[in-house]
Amino acid sequence: MKPATFEYHRPTSIDETVELLAELGHDAELLAGNQSLGIIMANRLASPDNLVDLGQVEALSGWTVDGDVVELGAMTTHRDLEFADDLREVVEMVPEAAEQIAGPSVRNRGTVGGSVAEADPAGNYPAAFVALDADLHLTSADDERTVPARDFFIAYMFTDLEPEELITRVTIDRAPFPPARTGMAFEELKRAAQTFPTVSAGTAVRVDDPDADEPTIEEARVALANVAEIPLHVPDAETAVEGSSLDDDALDEAAAAATEAADPSPEMHADEEWKVELAGEYTRRSLRTAYDRATQ
Amino acid sequence: MIEFSGDFESDHPPEQLWNYFTDPEILAQCAPGCDHIEQESASELAATVAVGVGSVKPTFDVDMVVVEADRPTRLVMDAGGDASRNSFETVAEMHLVETADGTTADWHAEVAVSGLIASLGQRALGSVAERLVTDFFEDVEALADEGVPADSQIRAKPDAKAALDD
Repeated sequence: MKPATFEYHRPTSIDETVELLAELGHDAELLAGNQSLGIIMANRLASPDNLVDLGQVEALSGWTVDGDVVELGAMTTHRDLEFADDLREVVEMVPEAAEQIAGPSVRNRGTVGGSVAEADPAGNYPAAFVALDADLHLTSADDERTVPARDFFIAYMFTDLEPEELITRVTIDRAPFPPARTGMAFEELKRAAQTFPTVSAGTAVRVDDPDADEPTIEEARVALANVAEIPLHVPDAETAVEGSSLDDDALDEAAAAATEAADPSPEMHADEEWKVELAGEYTRRSLRTAYDRATQ
Repeated sequence: MIEFSGDFESDHPPEQLWNYFTDPEILAQCAPGCDHIEQESASELAATVAVGVGSVKPTFDVDMVVVEADRPTRLVMDAGGDASRNSFETVAEMHLVETADGTTADWHAEVAVSGLIASLGQRALGSVAERLVTDFFEDVEALADEGVPADSQIRAKPDAKAALDD
């Protein structure tokens, strides 16, 4: 099918974009890479009167890494993040989440802001940003605000983003993740490269001393995708491994916490029971990888 | 058919809250996605409500009939909405119970949806609906906190009965 008619707008600056949104509000959709919206429109599930294409707003692309903060522009593509070596050194979970999204053609066009705003429960970045406790920066014509990723996702594909607002960037505080003592992982089960994963687990661990015989975990982060209507932060799994050297008991306890917290919707290819089990198993695998990386 | 329910704690007594829940102007301000509400008779309201789940954002023309209004405890509404390729019908009831600190509002809705939104499934709709209802109660509570005056204008329709078509 072809989409219903719409007016196409192509602003070149953030100011121009938010002015358009102030005017159009509910009648407009932002196009941030067009790896989902075009399909939904072609099926006429969505028929916005206006499309605001962010592709020419250069100020939204790119990333920076400084001593305190990592900053990702909303229109940075998965492909760019996948190959960002400076990011991989300090927040490995982000490029690892990016490189596992669909296939190369999608990664060339799809963007971090598009994925976050879409808020698919199976999306990679939402879970990664919840694990990393990232902040999302939102701008409208008359306001700017910062919303923690942990508060942004409200319900199934439903976020705190207002119709007149634009996600401009994502920031991650580096303080909890000194690279020499930190390991991160984003592990997912995917039945085919092009699809959304069945379950994903983003984890990070910081150890006291990577050269010790049995390095102890000072702080852990665990978040899962696609086992609830929104990205699932699992504090009990974090507590379970903090203070441990990731022995089997600690891993079992973390996996049990993830299993307990999971409340997935069944899908055609994966029933509820299977997804609950996967929540535990992928928490286990992801933590193990993160710990190995922290202690190498 | 989908059932939703929940409750909300208010710091205000039922007698005061009642005025807010039965004032069309207050409802128009607080109902999520509501453009405007027109009162067509003592017990009938017409509204335009836009609700979005992801990029699916139907705008419904909603007709509501108040079928029971027992001040200040029980309000039952029968509503139907039509949008392009979507429609819904609902019977929603709310119970206001006086507590030591104010009121507990227990709400319950039975909804039949058809069209595109139906394909989202009960879980997805439920999580969004709960959020919208909570927003509504929080907005009403905020107006009551501010002391914005409310004027009860809605009465039950005589002899009306709420029922969903199967």
